[in-house]
Amino acid sequence: MNNAVAEQKPILECRDLRKAFGAFEVLRSISFEMQAGVVLSVIGASGSGKSTLLRCLNYLEQPSSGVVFLDGEPIGLRRQADGGLKPDSPANIARMRAQIGMVFQQFNLWPHMSALENVIEAPRQVKGLKRAEAIEIGRHYLGKVNLLDKADAYPARLSGGQQQRVAIARALAMQPKVMLFDEATSALDPELTGEVLDVMRALAEEGTTMVVVTHEMRFARDVSDRVMFLHQGVIEEDGAPAQVFGNPASERCRAFLSSVAH
Amino acid sequence: MFSETLRQSLDLSIFWEYRQTLLVGLLQNVYIFFASAALAMALAVVVGLARLSKRFWVRGLSTFYVELFRNTPEFVLLIWVYYVLPILLSRLLATQFNLSPFLAAVLGLGVAYSGFMSETVRAGIQAIPKGHREAGTALGMRDGAILRRIVLPQALRRMLPEMLSQLVSLFKATSIVSLIAVPDIMYQVSMVNVEQMRPLPLYTGAALLFCLVIISATQMIQILSERWRRRGWA
Repeated sequence: MNNAVAEQKPILECRDLRKAFGAFEVLRSISFEMQAGVVLSVIGASGSGKSTLLRCLNYLEQPSSGVVFLDGEPIGLRRQADGGLKPDSPANIARMRAQIGMVFQQFNLWPHMSALENVIEAPRQVKGLKRAEAIEIGRHYLGKVNLLDKADAYPARLSGGQQQRVAIARALAMQPKVMLFDEATSALDPELTGEVLDVMRALAEEGTTMVVVTHEMRFARDVSDRVMFLHQGVIEEDGAPAQVFGNPASERCRAFLSSVAH
Repeated sequence: MFSETLRQSLDLSIFWEYRQTLLVGLLQNVYIFFASAALAMALAVVVGLARLSKRFWVRGLSTFYVELFRNTPEFVLLIWVYYVLPILLSRLLATQFNLSPFLAAVLGLGVAYSGFMSETVRAGIQAIPKGHREAGTALGMRDGAILRRIVLPQALRRMLPEMLSQLVSLFKATSIVSLIAVPDIMYQVSMVNVEQMRPLPLYTGAALLFCLVIISATQMIQILSERWRRRGWA
């Protein structure tokens, strides 16, 4: 990373993020910054806190302490005149979430709406776009995931891979600053993961800012600019893919990678 | 002897003779049905949602409402609304307060069935996967929009069969409104009976008439919902 990039304001920043469910600490002091245009893959064993971290980034989970900043603005908290932070209104939290796209493991398409209706719903309801305008945007993003011909199909008529691509189009249609992928291919049959990974790869090449929680080590190594290894709620390793995969400093990361390599 | 009784019971010519009076009576049942069904379903959505509220006291209050009306016989409730409620309200408001039999019937049946139906609404809403709501939240949608656009449209479709059987019960229950002097079909049947003294065909006919109306209505709804289902959504 050269100096010019390093001096930019980060698009996403986590400051001492902690999350506990009851007595169980899932995330223990997560801090990192991330520049626009970067693809960050988060890897780690199940239970390491990857998905919880992702869900804290758009405030689907409320962090126990710590703050996430999107483009310099804290999420879920509002700056006071005296510089302190206090809980934000639901309207403002929703406004911040609208700038962060999320793709779920289980797709979560709405079954009573066609693919296109799924994609235009948030632009209509949240951004208040006119129907014609929203449809234009919706068709653009359905085209991007190669599903324009399925615009009128209901989710039940689509394969898992197609459903996930519609879900990606739905998130993109809000033109978010950051895209979050929560194990986007884990629920798919092996022969269907390729089409979803291809779409994600294409987005990465266009310079989309992405945080990708994944078990696809090849994708993490080949597509990301940066890889983070999480272990028991702590960032154990954080660096370029060549370094993390080739020569990890953490013994646990080394063990994890050799366990998933086979 | 038996066959003679059966023959008399099934000789429904008297129904044809009194068709106008009886039809006017049946229309009362139909009116009361639609008005109380609308009231019951509107209340059911509100109470069903309240049962799922995050607020402890809203949940408590709505649970009390459901248990109260689910466990009171419709007949007792009807009498209570017609005779007791006006007196209570008159004392409370210090003015004369009257309920027409029709209004009392709609209110009584509507409230009674809202208790059952709110449980159907609650179950229908709970059956919608949490992920569907989360997807809306993640896109920046507010809770109200998620409920209106994502949860309720799906939940209402899921509720349809269960709701239908509640509505059938409600229509059947309209047959008790004659007890508070609503001139419905049963009221008219008894009036004709007083005149003609032919209870066998009159009550047999009333039973068959209810059966016929309900079977044709449910068949019609089933055909309609089948058509919706074929449109594609699961």
